[in-house]
Amino acid sequence: MNGSVFSSIHRYLQDVLRGMKSTWGSFVTAVPYLFRSGELRREVTEEYPDPISSRTADDLPARSRGLLENDIDRCTGCQECERICPTQAIRVESEIGPDPGKAWVSVFNIDFSRCVFCGLCVESCFPGSLRHSRKYEGAVHNLSEMVTQFGKGEVTETQRAKWAVLRQQAESEEVFS
Amino acid sequence: MSTQAPNNWIPLLSETLGLADAPEWFVAAIGLVLIYVLIIFPSGAFISYLDRKLGADFQARVGPNRAGPFGFFQPLADLLKLLQKEARSDWNWQEGLWLSVHTVALYSTVAVMPLGSLALLVNTDMSAFLPFWAALVLALGTMLLGFSQGSVPGWFGGVRIVAQTLAGAFPALIAVLCAGIRAGDFRWSALAQSQGASPLSWAAFSNPFQLIAMAVFVAGGLMILNVPPMDAGLSRSDIHGGVSSHLYGRRLTLFRLSRFYGFFLWSVISVVIFLGAWVLPFGISGALKDSGHFHLLHGAELVWLLMKTYALMLVVIILARLNPRGRVDQITDFAWKVLSPFALFALVGAAFWASWRAL
Repeated sequence: MNGSVFSSIHRYLQDVLRGMKSTWGSFVTAVPYLFRSGELRREVTEEYPDPISSRTADDLPARSRGLLENDIDRCTGCQECERICPTQAIRVESEIGPDPGKAWVSVFNIDFSRCVFCGLCVESCFPGSLRHSRKYEGAVHNLSEMVTQFGKGEVTETQRAKWAVLRQQAESEEVFS
Repeated sequence: MSTQAPNNWIPLLSETLGLADAPEWFVAAIGLVLIYVLIIFPSGAFISYLDRKLGADFQARVGPNRAGPFGFFQPLADLLKLLQKEARSDWNWQEGLWLSVHTVALYSTVAVMPLGSLALLVNTDMSAFLPFWAALVLALGTMLLGFSQGSVPGWFGGVRIVAQTLAGAFPALIAVLCAGIRAGDFRWSALAQSQGASPLSWAAFSNPFQLIAMAVFVAGGLMILNVPPMDAGLSRSDIHGGVSSHLYGRRLTLFRLSRFYGFFLWSVISVVIFLGAWVLPFGISGALKDSGHFHLLHGAELVWLLMKTYALMLVVIILARLNPRGRVDQITDFAWKVLSPFALFALVGAAFWASWRAL
């Protein structure tokens, strides 16, 4: 008899039974986890910073994006990284240096309180000076220490004048050689 | 030392503490405080630790492992942290009033809690129903606490808690009726004496209707007291913690402790009514009573009862960790559409069974 009281009671009891079976099934699946049998049931927590099971820098995946480092001697001061940074974490100031072929990057500051480690700056760096390191422990005690400075330092006016002279000498030597 | 067994623990306690001349209510008050501090408080710490460790095991995590060996002192660390947390300064007096009512109503049941054959302070004809009264007052107080908080989580949290309590109380009451039918009375002593020490003579396993009644009673209790997985009214994810969204620091500790106490009380009562109470195996109860070692009897019965209570609480905790939290309407549906019909069916069946055996 369709739609009768008995069929609805039957359906109701079937639903209750299905609920009980699913509860029992989850119980049966999960309780063996208490006894840690087999490889799959061991804990997956990394107990950082205890050295016993923590990951060292060597364990990190190959393309991990750690704290940024800039090789200031290769850096051309092109400011591409500064332009592409989505949080404006990089500040670059550069000028022509004593060697006419190389820029003098006086200021190259990365503010790690703003950096989101997206890696866009590393992708856009064509000399390849800006790279991710494998370091990930960057906690400091003062907010000012969050800014890492890679620049070579500000240049005074007298130094600029001296460099202008040096550049002229280098260029004139080039013409002759 | 008298050779006749006293019917409650007041004379024993006054003798132990050397307060033989003190008025009875004074000794009773001291005894209740001792019960709370020595039994309930450590149980709360222990069960919360087990909850976190077992939950972590199920989820292939480690769980607390820093505070003490295997994280054993984690509850103490949590307590100390919560106690020194600064609370909001703009707490209104109504919140204070309702939190006090909530707490007092719940802790008044420490007097009713059955802890042994001789440790029964309240052993009247309707003893088994007193926790229901406390739970209903608790729900009312919580609802008013929520209303006095004047925010959406407070209002909705309060109403949800009451809805769940009413939904869960109905089948649980019927389940208690089933147990009373079997024992013939609702006194704690009668309910305990009708059961034996081995599982086969527990009320829950004496006939299938009593088994259904026990399941309904435990599930109904979880619902009444907002114990996970039936804690929709207090959930962080759904309703920002409901009534507890405004409680911080010491008030939150008080609130959480009273919630645990409700869970503990319900588990103790479930064990007393359905799971063999404190009756010790191998006839030890009778032997100790006859030989007059009342302290030992108290202690042994209490330990046995607590072990069974912890086992029941562990089963509830495992089920809570394995199942997703119910939405409040799912929980009340479950109470009215599943628990209540099964409770009524169990009541009819238990009545027939009892009358059949009496014929």
